Amino acid sequence: MNNSDKIIEISNLTKRFNDLVAVNKLNLNVYKGDVFGFLGPNGAGKSTTIRMLLTLIYPDEGNIKIFGKDLIKERLNILKKVGAIVEKPDFYGYLTAYKNLEILGRISGIEVNKNLIMKNLEIVGLANRFDSKVKTFSHGMKQRLGIAQALLHNPELIILDEPTTGLDPIGMKEIRDLIIHLSKELKKTIFLSSHLLNEVEMVANRMIIINKGTTKVEGEVKELLDKNRIYVRIDVDNAEKTLGILKLTKWSNFIRKYTNNHLEFDLESYEVPMLNKHLVENGVYVYSIIPKRSLEEYFLKITNEASDD
Amino acid sequence: MIYLIIFISIIELNAQSINSDEIIKSLISRFNQVKDYEVDIEIKVDVEFLKVPESKAKLYFKQPDKVKLKSEGFALLPKDGIDFSPTSIIKGNYTAIYERNEIIQGNQNYVIKIVPLNENTNIILSTLWIDTKNFVIRKLESTTKTEGTYSIELFYDDNFKYPLPKQMIFSFNIDKMNLPQTFINTTPKTGRRKFTDGPIVGKVYVNYSNYSVNKNLSDKIFLDK
Amino acid sequence: MIDLIKIELYKIFKKWRTYIGFIALGILIPLIHFAMVLEGERTINFMTRNIQESFVFVGKLLNTYLISYIILTSLAVHIPFLITLVAGDLLAGEATAGTYRMLLTRPISRTKLIIVKFIAGVIYSNIIVFWLAFLSLVLGYFIFGVGELLIIDGQMIVIFEKNDVLWRFLLAYGFAALGMTTVASLAFLFSSLVENAIGPIISTMAIIIVFVILSAIQVEFFQNIKHYFFTTHIMSWRLFFDEPIDIKEILNSAGILILHIFIFFSLTLIIFNKKDILT
Repeated sequence: MNNSDKIIEISNLTKRFNDLVAVNKLNLNVYKGDVFGFLGPNGAGKSTTIRMLLTLIYPDEGNIKIFGKDLIKERLNILKKVGAIVEKPDFYGYLTAYKNLEILGRISGIEVNKNLIMKNLEIVGLANRFDSKVKTFSHGMKQRLGIAQALLHNPELIILDEPTTGLDPIGMKEIRDLIIHLSKELKKTIFLSSHLLNEVEMVANRMIIINKGTTKVEGEVKELLDKNRIYVRIDVDNAEKTLGILKLTKWSNFIRKYTNNHLEFDLESYEVPMLNKHLVENGVYVYSIIPKRSLEEYFLKITNEASDD
Repeated sequence: MIYLIIFISIIELNAQSINSDEIIKSLISRFNQVKDYEVDIEIKVDVEFLKVPESKAKLYFKQPDKVKLKSEGFALLPKDGIDFSPTSIIKGNYTAIYERNEIIQGNQNYVIKIVPLNENTNIILSTLWIDTKNFVIRKLESTTKTEGTYSIELFYDDNFKYPLPKQMIFSFNIDKMNLPQTFINTTPKTGRRKFTDGPIVGKVYVNYSNYSVNKNLSDKIFLDK
Repeated sequence: MIDLIKIELYKIFKKWRTYIGFIALGILIPLIHFAMVLEGERTINFMTRNIQESFVFVGKLLNTYLISYIILTSLAVHIPFLITLVAGDLLAGEATAGTYRMLLTRPISRTKLIIVKFIAGVIYSNIIVFWLAFLSLVLGYFIFGVGELLIIDGQMIVIFEKNDVLWRFLLAYGFAALGMTTVASLAFLFSSLVENAIGPIISTMAIIIVFVILSAIQVEFFQNIKHYFFTTHIMSWRLFFDEPIDIKEILNSAGILILHIFIFFSLTLIIFNKKDILT
């Protein structure tokens, strides 16, 4: 990927709110055509970063470039080509869905007509509610209307901040399908923020995990979530005894961790049944064998830590 | 009051040849030529506390004491100047005392003092300047209990056969004017509102034209609001 | 820019709170008219009782001009409240509704947005004053007709000829609109600072009421500083009912109000451009 393909370039981005460092020297790149997963637990700094991307808040340090241009200097030109949902989409509840889109379209400076608005409402499945006041909409409907307003001016870059929040499983699938459609058929670049790893896994090609405002993991989704890169948790009757049995075997090299009643091994998936056979033959009671993806574990861990905070 | 009595005594002793009551009688009899009149008036007010535009009105009079002021717009006239018929000035029981002769407006005038004997009247003392030839009032000065002093000067057209003036100048001198607190304008520049100290002086000029005399005016005119 | 102003006006007039002002005046002024039909003559007799001791006067003093003058005097605090209801909501309302996120991620500069919203607020303020003028003068005309205008100005009683009044009212209402624009700009400034419209409404009215109270205290210190209060100069519409009119004083008051508007607006611009949108 070369520089001309970089849609978003974030360098050393930092934002403080009094004593709290919400984003701390963040670096990331998003390339043209990416569905970029921006992951982190609640409070990791995702929304803050997205707000900085959209000039809702100003960074204390660092730099953002979009389409190769400095965001602060070329804000208006950049935003013409960016569509976004930031957190919960809020509209003018006392106006209809149609009117909300019309107003937002006119503010964006595009040629707004009935066809355009109805087309976008159809994409998100709200065409039949075009003349209903938005205050009568459910959360899911507002979410969909939020996507409609993000697409209204045919942007090149779409920033979606947790777009499936509050949706039922069918709604979530519809959004995921839409994202894939936007990326594959309409060749949009998508920056998708989420706190759900599996959601990102299903649509994104590249991803980053942040926590406490800094990058923790970054890379291609396929690589990071490769099914072959697993570790195995084996629940046994007596871990000490099991350790003794494995001490002089090759399996001891793969032990990553153990407690009173379980051990964790870094293994390729084809090696699991061989280990199981060895343990059983040596008198170890094996209660369960659970394959885990280390990234998933890691993400779960930091998510739990965040909710404890 | 004491001075008045002494004064009266002296005059009574000296002025045997001029009978003030006779003069008054002639004055009234002259005015009684006028049974009724209507006249156009123009009023100009020049008073310290009043800013009023010049106004036009119609004045109606019918003997003995019916007076009416009507205007399409606005008109303001001093109460004591609306009716200058002698009988309105010289009301009830009074004592008339001839004082002297004096020339004003180029004419010889009897100067007569009128002292009302009725305690209820507002006027303490009036002085009349009565033209010796035409028996019209050329000037009147009155001192009141509550409103200070005022004077009326009347100017006549010598060619007009009726004893009705062409102009009146009403001058007055009021002790104090209390203005109601509500609706008072306090613009930034005027700041604190001040009550007026000392007497308020002013003049009202009335010009009379187009007299229509003895046309048998209906009483209805004087009843309308 | 025009299109954006139209959008803002559309949003303003789609909210029910906008109509509070129109309805309030629509009830209050006819009520005042009704009261004057019953008590108007007595009011005038009261105003002129001292003159009536010495003067006879004829004329139609109970007319739409006198009543419009009384209405304009009495509504020095009421109209500002109606203005703040809308002006205070112009920015804070977006924060409350959460629509800043939709609005400010559009390719529109914050400066343009502030200008457009401010202009819409000023237009609303002027419409309210126009409505006040219409109800007072026009409705009053059909009930009371026209005539001379009697006012008591400090230690003077001033009567204006019938034909000398209307132009004064038109200029006075124009000046009142400038005054209300000043109120709107202050409410607008407060609106940029908070996320709920109640705050700007209360703060603006609190300032107005405090200034009015301080101006009324007959202590030299307050009488000296009150010339710096914009509330003092909002009442300068009365200068059009002087004879002769003091143009210099009027221009001075107008200048002070315009300066206030400029300062309030500039502060709003600076604050809003620097603000982090967290709602």
